[in-house]
Amino acid sequence: MSRIGVFVCHCGLNIAKTIRVSELAQFASTLPDVVVAKDYKFMCSTPGQEMIASDIKEHKLDRIIVAACSPLMHEQTFRKVIENAGLNKYLVTIVNIREQVSWVTHDVEEGTSKAKALLNGAVYRARLLAPLTSRFIDVSPDVMVIGGGIAGIQAALELANTGKKVYLVEKNSTIGGHMAQFDKTFPTLDCSACILTPKMDAVLQHKNITMMTYCEVTEVKGYVGNFDITVKQKARYVDHDKCNACLACTEKCPGKGVSEWDEGLVKRKAIYIPFPQAVPQKPVIDRDACTFFIKGKCRLCEKVCEQKAIDFEQQDTFSTVKVGAVIVATGYDLMNTKPLVQYGYGKYPGVYSALEVERLFNSAGPTSGKVTLRDGKEPQAIAILHCIGSRDKNNYEHCSRVCCMYSLKFAHLFKEKTSADVYQFYIDMRAPGKGYEEFYNRIIEEDVKFIRGKGARVAESADEPGRMIVEAEDTITGKFIKLPVDMVVLSPAMIPRSDSKDIARLFNLSTDKYGFFMERHPKLAPLSTMSEGIFIAGVCQSPKDIPDTVAQANGAAAEALTIVVKDKMELEATTAMVNPASCCACQNCIRVCPYGAPFFNEQKGVSEINEALCKGCGLCASVCPASAIIARHFTNDQVLAEIEGLMEF
Amino acid sequence: MEFEPKILGIACNWCTYTGADLAGTTRLQYPQNLRVVRVMCSSRINPSFIFRAFQLGADGVLVGGCHPGDCHYNTGNLYARRRLAVTRKILEFAGIEPGRFRVEWISASEGNKFAEVVTEFTEQVKTLGPQTKFKIEQQPSLEKI
Amino acid sequence: MSQTVIPYLEMSQAIVDAGGEALKKCYQCGTCTGTCPWTPITHFNIRKLIRFGQLGIDGIEEYMWGCSTCKFCVDRCPRGVELIDVVTAIRNVYSGGGMLPQSLRAFVGSLSARGNPWSGDQDKRNDWAKDKYPVYTKDMDYLFFTCCTVCYDPRNIKLAKATAEVLNLAGLNWGIPSVDVNCCGESVRKVGDLELFERLKQNNLNYFKTNNVDKIVTVSPHCLATFKKEYGEDYDVMHLSQLIARLIKEGKLTPKKDFGGLKVTYHDPCYLGRHSGVYDAPRDILKAIPGIDFVEMGRNREQSMCCGGGGGGLWMEKLKGERLSDLRIEEAMATGATVLATSCPYCITMFEDSSRTLNVDEQIKIKDVTELFLESLGVNMDELMAGTSDLNFTCKAD
Repeated sequence: MSRIGVFVCHCGLNIAKTIRVSELAQFASTLPDVVVAKDYKFMCSTPGQEMIASDIKEHKLDRIIVAACSPLMHEQTFRKVIENAGLNKYLVTIVNIREQVSWVTHDVEEGTSKAKALLNGAVYRARLLAPLTSRFIDVSPDVMVIGGGIAGIQAALELANTGKKVYLVEKNSTIGGHMAQFDKTFPTLDCSACILTPKMDAVLQHKNITMMTYCEVTEVKGYVGNFDITVKQKARYVDHDKCNACLACTEKCPGKGVSEWDEGLVKRKAIYIPFPQAVPQKPVIDRDACTFFIKGKCRLCEKVCEQKAIDFEQQDTFSTVKVGAVIVATGYDLMNTKPLVQYGYGKYPGVYSALEVERLFNSAGPTSGKVTLRDGKEPQAIAILHCIGSRDKNNYEHCSRVCCMYSLKFAHLFKEKTSADVYQFYIDMRAPGKGYEEFYNRIIEEDVKFIRGKGARVAESADEPGRMIVEAEDTITGKFIKLPVDMVVLSPAMIPRSDSKDIARLFNLSTDKYGFFMERHPKLAPLSTMSEGIFIAGVCQSPKDIPDTVAQANGAAAEALTIVVKDKMELEATTAMVNPASCCACQNCIRVCPYGAPFFNEQKGVSEINEALCKGCGLCASVCPASAIIARHFTNDQVLAEIEGLMEF
Repeated sequence: MEFEPKILGIACNWCTYTGADLAGTTRLQYPQNLRVVRVMCSSRINPSFIFRAFQLGADGVLVGGCHPGDCHYNTGNLYARRRLAVTRKILEFAGIEPGRFRVEWISASEGNKFAEVVTEFTEQVKTLGPQTKFKIEQQPSLEKI
Repeated sequence: MSQTVIPYLEMSQAIVDAGGEALKKCYQCGTCTGTCPWTPITHFNIRKLIRFGQLGIDGIEEYMWGCSTCKFCVDRCPRGVELIDVVTAIRNVYSGGGMLPQSLRAFVGSLSARGNPWSGDQDKRNDWAKDKYPVYTKDMDYLFFTCCTVCYDPRNIKLAKATAEVLNLAGLNWGIPSVDVNCCGESVRKVGDLELFERLKQNNLNYFKTNNVDKIVTVSPHCLATFKKEYGEDYDVMHLSQLIARLIKEGKLTPKKDFGGLKVTYHDPCYLGRHSGVYDAPRDILKAIPGIDFVEMGRNREQSMCCGGGGGGLWMEKLKGERLSDLRIEEAMATGATVLATSCPYCITMFEDSSRTLNVDEQIKIKDVTELFLESLGVNMDELMAGTSDLNFTCKAD
């Protein structure tokens, strides 16, 4: 006989408006073994928690059921409550009557009767629960940060400053990310390089940071506290230990590659550093552009290199590092706007994508910071088109969040650097950050023309060759505007990196439909993921600006620290065990387990389970033909009892 | 009165259960005939859970897991997929209409899919009427457990 | 005049109830107006129409008849608003209140009384065929669903005959419907008379059922889209151009006559292209014909212009300078083409009218792809048409 206490939460009106909570508590008190049943406004609040604790003592309760929000929300909270009250923490059962009942129906009758059924199932299950003992494992003290943009740089520095060792993995040959491509940042118009390059240098100098540029993660094994991560060092064809960064090779190289850094606006050498302030300052060879790799002869770089650092035989190498936690900060790409034929990107040379324009403004860019068109002329009229592919059911439904602001920044820089007329075609102006509205006001006063209407089409001008006509409705006057311009700037949707699906698969992250990584909880755990020990920061989670990215990076660093700061950490006790009396030695469990937790004890002739490796999925329990494997906390009896309880009402 | 079926749902913790929560957080409405049991992985599902549910009078059983390839435990749902395919055959053999049993891969971000599937499945089970083939009228009493 | 208005949400709700649910989604970005082919030449503003609908305020009447349902805006709308549904719903609500324009009354009246928009007698529906072509029976493979326009409009009878000849030459087992069928109802649905549409649809469905019809070939893309999307039954419907393209591919029909470098351009009908996604079939046919020099207009395929004939436009009078068909003819002529081919009877009617009012009917000929194809099979269209002038029709009231 167990002694069960049932606690029904109103969650303000979230639950109480569709479920008759006092009736539910009343119903609970009629169920077998239930000693006490109560309802209260907010069970998770301090008085609610105290009520549970005091009832445990007063009524000698040994099982607790909380009917409230999803277990994914507050199971841990209530486990702590009963643990503090002296009960084994696995003896609490959460009944999800908010996310899966009161929020998905308006019908009070239906809601209440479904809640009753769920509660009944929980009572049946609770009676069969057993106390479990937690396991403790050693924790590796190091952290890996994936992505060397501003988010990854910030997180790595914060962690390294606490004394933790950090591996910073970056797939390009330099760290810096998109921020290093910008000229100015909104709304303060700080020079991007001035605030970023000192941080890049700090990473290079930091004794606790191992920078792994031109690297990609290829395999992830292990679990929170003990990840074994394999990293591929892509062949650079330059031995960075020998190279002294004299860059003589880059001057002599006859090869021509497309400069990713300048968004393809210009060519770069085949042996190159992406930009003058790159970190590290040591070059790599682009195989696809290298004359030697294409034609089999050249080797000019090798001839000029006094350090003998050029190595055409170099191969990709693999190394494995052990870390306790991981921060994923892989950033974004801009959507390819070519398929949106109405905007003429790729067809008319005067149509630019946002990042290309960033490079035009940049004094280290292809035009040395002068705003000129591809033919070298200065534009006379410029249209900036917002929401290209964003806020668009046909492409990406989300708002990319930064485009309004950088479009304002563009307008300002165009005004500063040219005498052109500048027009913004927008749907809604979104300027909700600190100092953003003020920046918007400033740009209005700079005589930028705002046209409230989404750009509908960019066409060739029939009268003036080389010019374009932007067609849109000015929705304020209802007039159809045909605006002759010589430059069109598209502000395309920000989307996850093209390889974010691979990262998601490697680290077991969930993604939304566009590939942005899903956080564990949208409000209360925005940096954690469903995979313990893996955290996310920056635009790989959703579009955001630099201040928010930096704040997230700091947060993720703190989250990672909570894991690696301890020597040992507690793991869920919900592992599997083998009842040796029933084991038939078929070894099915050993064959199916993804973690290699079960092994065969030759001496006893039965399977056993290494609990340190077991993650508690329960797969072995269901393949065991003799039902010898017990999946703790999800035993056959417990699940069947719950089903019975659910089907009774 | 209209027939209101009882439907058992078994959902994995990481994808479908979270997806169901998301349906709640976004306030999608769906019929309340479904009662969900949470397991850590769809591979935990023993076919006996499903048979037992039908014995206990379930009119339909809906199983949800991560999309194949996206399992939180790497390969668990691949085993589940095979096992559930066999379960379906056994159910058919035993005379349960195939429409009463459904397996869906619903990810944590697919709250709308969860709501759609539940709505559709509930409608389907409704048209099939009460399930009597497997149901045992005299249920063993609770005290036996 | 006062600018004060009070939102009249009952009217807005009535539009939603009539099928304009999509009204709610619009965030007024103006992409639709910027895309709409009418915007540059008329004062019709589709975004405003939606806005007035959202608030139920005056102004709807001014804009509600401007849309030709070309679907360009729907394809571009970032919110996925089904603007055509909204337009249809608005017209339904308002024309129910007696606000049908004069020019559409004869058209709706004829459909209601005679089952076709052309004021033709129902029992003369098949007179064009002069008993030369078989009427569909249960053992046949294909029903060639003759659009009312090809049955009654003298210009388009040519298309009906061309179609029939092609089907014969292909050796198919086919028939035309008896005079019991009526208009597919597409136009009247878009004009907002949903009740009449339902009646026409049911009558056709009855005919299909009693005659075991399962494969339907349409000559009008409007019939095609309507059978596919609105009839809700599982018929195998295809457009004639798709059938011909398949017959060419399978080697069952091979065009022989060489046109000796005839320059032809092609206009994508909205209901074949954007509404039904058929872009390649008609082009495949033209490209298979020897000696045709095929040129594209600047705006083609998904980006194609509207002829202005959809959504009831065929029966409405437009002022000079406000006709899309005029612009399209000019665009076609700018390519140097001497034949403007298309594959829709409505487009043909619109373009024939325009080419005459623009006085260019000698410079550019309007032809259906089927007609060109039949000629290339060696059939003389004029001989085919001999003896049809004595047919007694009442046609488009000018």
